[in-house]
Amino acid sequence: MNSLIAIGAGIAVFCALGAGIGIGIATGKASEAIARQPEAAGKINSTLILGCALAEATAIYGFVIALMIIVMLK
Amino acid sequence: MGDLASKLMAELECETVFTIPVFGGIGIAESVVVTWIIMAILIIGAIILTRNLKINHISKRQAVAELIYTKLTGLVEGMIGPAGKSYVPYLTTVLLYIGLSNIIGLFGMKSPTKDLNVTIALAVMSIVLVEAAGIHHKGVGKWLHHFTEPVAIVTPINILEVFTRPLSLCMRLFGNVLGAFVIMELIKIVVPVFLPAVFSLYFDLFDGLLQAYVFVFLTSMYIAEAIE
Repeated sequence: MNSLIAIGAGIAVFCALGAGIGIGIATGKASEAIARQPEAAGKINSTLILGCALAEATAIYGFVIALMIIVMLK
Repeated sequence: MGDLASKLMAELECETVFTIPVFGGIGIAESVVVTWIIMAILIIGAIILTRNLKINHISKRQAVAELIYTKLTGLVEGMIGPAGKSYVPYLTTVLLYIGLSNIIGLFGMKSPTKDLNVTIALAVMSIVLVEAAGIHHKGVGKWLHHFTEPVAIVTPINILEVFTRPLSLCMRLFGNVLGAFVIMELIKIVVPVFLPAVFSLYFDLFDGLLQAYVFVFLTSMYIAEAIE
């Protein structure tokens, strides 16, 4: 039973893959936008930070589920 | 590693600190006591900053108070738009509370947002405020009708959103604070000397303040969407 719990927790954290890819693509587009128009760097910067915080949330959901699996399943 | 798991479990639950002997004993949890401390900090800070306000020849303390006030309300008003000005004081208070309670782990106290009950309470308050704003500005009939916009087919999704939005709000806040805490504990086990301070700058300060901003930003976006 312990190994199944470990496998389940491992699969649950896998959804952080989506967050990593998404934030990477967003940062790439933000760098392109800043390169194209350096005066708007401040606004692009804040939009990027906000978008990364929102995208990070899905990775956090996976982490919380994995923690709940480890802690609550006997 | 076994005692790490038990330490994590101990941190996940919140102990009852003392009991008020009314109605058969109301247990006061630890997060409530830290919330009282945060309230004391904010209220005493506000009282000190707003004593003896003048119109001309303002003191430096009044200049600082005016700067803080204009920056905070300007930030929140930019998020919610001019139609939601009456909701700005509540949102600013929530921003200050969540920001301060995320940071208070640096001072050795257990952060109240690490308790799932606190984040659920904050999320429920937010969603009640959003729906109440919708009803107040549109009337009950039009508010019920807006569930069928833009297409009638998305009505179940709109109704579901009333429940999934606060769920995502509370889980995002709780998960970030808990995750930061777990990673800091792991780092302290591996390299206890210098690295925790560097990482604590990111996890505690930056991430804590950012999550407070994201919470208030999402709530004000929902309110702006319900009002318009």
